[in-house]
Amino acid sequence: MYIEVERLSYSYNPTSPSAYALKDVSLTIEEGAFFGIIGHTGSGKSTFVQHLNALITLPTAEKKFKPKKGVAYPSIRIGDFDLADKHTDWKALRSKVGIVFQYPEYQLFAESVKEDVAFGLKNFSQTPLTPEETEAHVKEALTAVGLNYEEVKDASPFDLSGGQKRRVAIAGVIVTKPEILVLDEPAAGLDPLGKREIMGLLHSLHRSWCKTIVIVSHDMDEIGENCTKVAVFADGELKFLLPPSELFLHDEELEALGLDIPTTAKVRRALKERGISVDTDFTSEDFARQILALGGRHV
Amino acid sequence: MFKDVALGQYYQASSFVHRLDPRFKILALIAYIVAIFLSENFYGLGMCALLLLLTIAFSKVPLGKVIKAVKGILFLLVFTAIIQLFFYKPNENAVVWVKWWVITITDQAVFFTLFLLLRLSLLVMVASMLTYTTTPVSLTDGLESLLTPLKVVRFPVHELALIMSIALRFIPTLMEETERIMNAQKARGADFESGGLMKRAKAVVPILIPLLISSFRRAEELGDAMDARCYAGSKVRTKYKKLTFSWRDLLAFFIMAALVTGVVLFNVYLGGVV
Repeated sequence: MYIEVERLSYSYNPTSPSAYALKDVSLTIEEGAFFGIIGHTGSGKSTFVQHLNALITLPTAEKKFKPKKGVAYPSIRIGDFDLADKHTDWKALRSKVGIVFQYPEYQLFAESVKEDVAFGLKNFSQTPLTPEETEAHVKEALTAVGLNYEEVKDASPFDLSGGQKRRVAIAGVIVTKPEILVLDEPAAGLDPLGKREIMGLLHSLHRSWCKTIVIVSHDMDEIGENCTKVAVFADGELKFLLPPSELFLHDEELEALGLDIPTTAKVRRALKERGISVDTDFTSEDFARQILALGGRHV
Repeated sequence: MFKDVALGQYYQASSFVHRLDPRFKILALIAYIVAIFLSENFYGLGMCALLLLLTIAFSKVPLGKVIKAVKGILFLLVFTAIIQLFFYKPNENAVVWVKWWVITITDQAVFFTLFLLLRLSLLVMVASMLTYTTTPVSLTDGLESLLTPLKVVRFPVHELALIMSIALRFIPTLMEETERIMNAQKARGADFESGGLMKRAKAVVPILIPLLISSFRRAEELGDAMDARCYAGSKVRTKYKKLTFSWRDLLAFFIMAALVTGVVLFNVYLGGVV
């Protein structure tokens, strides 16, 4: 499934239209992408993400919507789902597009890990699942996030460590096998090892179940290492839509927006100031290769 | 879904009423309510209404905002009106205006109903004026100061005021949190809008438990932060803002005294509403 967003504008307070959270955003996220969204706090990232699950509905999908002539309304299409149509089945949409919000461990509520993970499964399934089916799905999801099913299934989610809680929460979203997985700051607040593990987990999910992954992040290294394409939001507007290899060439513009750049881009700039130019896609792997290729000539 | 909830409905302005001492405003509210209930006729109540209108005019709060408060008890007003109109027991001087089947409406019933409606509306409007013109913080400050005498019987006045201001402070935070958790559970297919009463009650559990847990976490963090700043209760605490009575309060005091006296005089010389 692909995501196609057109002319998306949104204001939390329609009476003062100057305060737009999103202004005329149009973008497409292709199937199979590992898509990154970066931007400041308050840049409209979260508002954008909430639209993808119809947690914020488009004006044309409101119950009391009356069309006005000459207004180009925003539209969002996700695969076969038309989010501008109020007859679209939101539940079906939400089972196909999973969203993991910031600090997802704060949504855990059930007595045991397996019950919590099964919550979404029960909500989405058209016909009640047998206990065996449920268990099979839950086991699969928990294994996919790197947890030992037998060890954690009966534990209280509140007794787990921070990293484990986050994995359980992610398992609770991927248990319905969404085709698109959107994660808002999936690694925030974790230690470096936890961060690496979560990103590794996302890559293995990307290879197996979730064809398309969208992550919202502040961490440029994370974006630079992992994403195939990046959208940059500022003040509700889409400023850039580029692959990282091109995006981070705009280092000064990004810094003017108050954003960081990956370490590789910083090193590349420092080398450039010393007269050494490195041509890289900004992943540390490629960067090292390019440096080594230069090595003989400059040292 | 929480956009319509009006909480902490303070109306920012700089006016005579805003600058009154919160302690005086609380006492004045009580005096005003007493005056409303003492009034036995339209003259007394009319005087109360006049004073309220003057207060609103001097407070710079838009009249529409104060009238909105009455909307909140509209159902109660309609209900009271119907009950009073049909079941008021008139005396022998009553003139029957409508007589149909078992329903009899007399002039006395109509007047008395109007009287009650006016009384209830004034009550709500004057109470809303207090919250419109006083910030929650100074309201709790005023309350704490007024309750100080209770310290003699070891009533924890300061702690109570602290609890109140913390509770007020965290209402918006909790609402935000609720919305966030609701979104997260909706994304996992939770449905809060359909189904019977039982189903809906059950649907609340996945919101309530995370909310409860995060409230405990917040409470603990707040407690730590207070400890870190050496908070030690009321004994050694001084006030940043000292409440002082001014000429405004004195002037307003005389106006309130005049109101109550006026109401009593009207009662004595002009009698009841019917």
